Amino acid sequence: MALVETVRQVRRLAAVSREAARLGLYAGQKATDAMALVPELVTAEAEPEADALALTALTDWCVRFSPAVAADAPDGLFLDISGVSHLWGGEAELMADFRARLADNGLAFRLAVADTPGAAWALAHFGRDETLAPPGGQAELLKPLPPSALRLDPEAAAQIARLGLRRLEQLIDLPRAPLGRRFGAHTLERLDQALGRSAEALRFRRPPTPWVARLAFVEPISTPDDMARVTQDVTAKLCARMLAEGQGGRRFEIAFHRVDGQTLPLTIGLSLAGRDAKRIARLFQPHLETIDPGFGIESVTICAYDVEPVSGRQVRLEAGLAPSMEDGLAPLVDRLVNRLGPERVWRAAPVESHVPELAVGRDTPLGAPVSEAAPWDRETPRPVRLFRRPEPLDAVMALTPDDPPRQFQWRGRTHIVRRAEGPERIGEEWWKRGIETVSAAHVRDYYRVENAEGMRFWLFRAGLYGDPDAPPKWWLHGLFG
Amino acid sequence: MSDFRGMRLEPAPVGAANRDKQARRLSSGAHRGCALAAMRAKIAALESGGRADAGVLAFGDEGLDGRLPGGGLPLGRWHEITGAGLEAETSAAPAAFAALTAAPLAMRGEAVWVLRRDDLWAPGLAGLGFPPARLIQVCARDEAEALSVMEDALATVGVSAVFGEVEAVDLTAGRRLQLACEKRGSTGFVIKRRPFGGTARKEAAGSIAATRWRVACAPSEPPGGEFGLGAPRYRVDLERCRGGQTGAWILEAQMAYCWEADDVAHSLRLVADLGDRELAPAQPDQRRAA
Repeated sequence: MALVETVRQVRRLAAVSREAARLGLYAGQKATDAMALVPELVTAEAEPEADALALTALTDWCVRFSPAVAADAPDGLFLDISGVSHLWGGEAELMADFRARLADNGLAFRLAVADTPGAAWALAHFGRDETLAPPGGQAELLKPLPPSALRLDPEAAAQIARLGLRRLEQLIDLPRAPLGRRFGAHTLERLDQALGRSAEALRFRRPPTPWVARLAFVEPISTPDDMARVTQDVTAKLCARMLAEGQGGRRFEIAFHRVDGQTLPLTIGLSLAGRDAKRIARLFQPHLETIDPGFGIESVTICAYDVEPVSGRQVRLEAGLAPSMEDGLAPLVDRLVNRLGPERVWRAAPVESHVPELAVGRDTPLGAPVSEAAPWDRETPRPVRLFRRPEPLDAVMALTPDDPPRQFQWRGRTHIVRRAEGPERIGEEWWKRGIETVSAAHVRDYYRVENAEGMRFWLFRAGLYGDPDAPPKWWLHGLFG
Repeated sequence: MSDFRGMRLEPAPVGAANRDKQARRLSSGAHRGCALAAMRAKIAALESGGRADAGVLAFGDEGLDGRLPGGGLPLGRWHEITGAGLEAETSAAPAAFAALTAAPLAMRGEAVWVLRRDDLWAPGLAGLGFPPARLIQVCARDEAEALSVMEDALATVGVSAVFGEVEAVDLTAGRRLQLACEKRGSTGFVIKRRPFGGTARKEAAGSIAATRWRVACAPSEPPGGEFGLGAPRYRVDLERCRGGQTGAWILEAQMAYCWEADDVAHSLRLVADLGDRELAPAQPDQRRAA
């Protein structure tokens, strides 16, 4: 069995099974050569995207062992188990549990534990499977490995191999300066990372947060009532800790771990950092029905993010005097945001722009205003309703060049203008775009007009008279009411 | 229980008028007047169901406030504002009227505006004297969601006014809004608005709104025959008023588009009384077209 991919119009093996490897096939071999060697070879198309998805799923699943998991594309994972292994009784026990659970999922894998990600990678790929490097002892274990265990780029690795350096200890013993000069700083950096001389930043699946609570069940649960209850329980557990330490979170993620290894996350956000377990659990409530428990849920974890200090609040003796933000508005906004989505709840914020459709930005409903723009000028009349797209006007009668229209047609009705004000010229923001796209056709002359019945319109003429290429057009942009 | 409640909350406007006639007949003796006042107070207390009176918002004009129960727009209730003709879809004048009416409320607490189409423009509200910084806008996906968001917002501490643009409020939804209003004494404004291109829906048979207003634009008059447009004017028909009288007026937003809007108690000023509604034809649209 082998997977085949097409690299530069050549069909090559992308991965081979254990049996195929025993027959002398290897990844990177031409598919035709392989077929000639082993005519009964079964091939299938390689699917790198599906592989990446599967790796992501596996990364999510591994959160049950440690909150800090980093995917190492295309086929590896890093788990930061510092401070976690004692929950299993030690690194060896953790590894045994990990091994058993991975094997249950039918995966082929190799494991290694070391002080640094680089050393763990090298040991997992080239060392004995299930190596447990003692603290500070990875250098000894690395010595017999080949230099490619350092995750080098192919050119450097090929050069090192050409020079006859077959074991890492030869590389370690070389003077640093010539080593760096000959094979590049990257090689030096990888060596240092493996030996723990320099730190390596891993891209964890999520920022590790110390605010985690976990509940595991003797029997897998699946009924909606149970799920609602464990949501409350695990939230209460986390919130009790936050209360004790005077902290509150803005974002909470609950993850249901199913017995078949799938992890189903739910996220809610708060507009103000909080730790009211009841309120947070209630925000999860409406989303719980989207969780498919499958054959059952065996454990649940909750993490808090954007954790910040929250001062304790004194319960007021006389309720209902002057309501504070935390009392009413923040829960309301949270309910709305989590139900409708954050883009549907906002507070209008001024943006310093003359172009009407750009003059309003969106702030989060609570919290300090983000923009420092000056508020809108209240003395220039602006409509209450602004159409997202200006609507074209037909049959406009206007004196050229600068008079407001005498009459116009909008939505099939003719409006006769009784009073008018204008023009107010609003140009485009030419400093924000390429000079070649700036054109007189983008200049707008706005008029405020009132028809015989008193309806007040905000309409504009785009473009100038006398331009044969772009005759001016009339648009309705808003209604004053 | 709910039926009983509905009956109690539903005195027909005809009944109110009758009561007034009765009052005039009975006011021959001072003693009787006293008894009547006491009885009225008792009825009012019964109607309010024991909750504290949320007060009224006076427009500051005798002609208008006199028609409204308690001398102003009742707070802790919800009000219906509709537009006529084209305005049933665009709903610019009703929105402007609602913002002008509720501007003093927005100074007391937060306001929430529930939209179906995202076309409310904050600079316009600011120009009318309504503070957009106190306004949370919510764009609902459908009618039912808009109503439930309104209800949620009305029952929240710290929210003084809630605006909702919906097509219709049936009796159940109306009662739910009313109960939400009573919880914290916040005031609701239902701006009836048809979706663009939608056909007119049949009006619901009844409504438990405290008042129903029909708002249209009216031609403005610049002072002294100046060039351009004057302060925005609205033709406002109070079509229905629980415990008060109906009426029709032309109101002017005298403080629109100037910085001093915050200095007056209420920006709307009565320009003309269009007389008794009973004498006016039943269809205000046709009259205006004629």
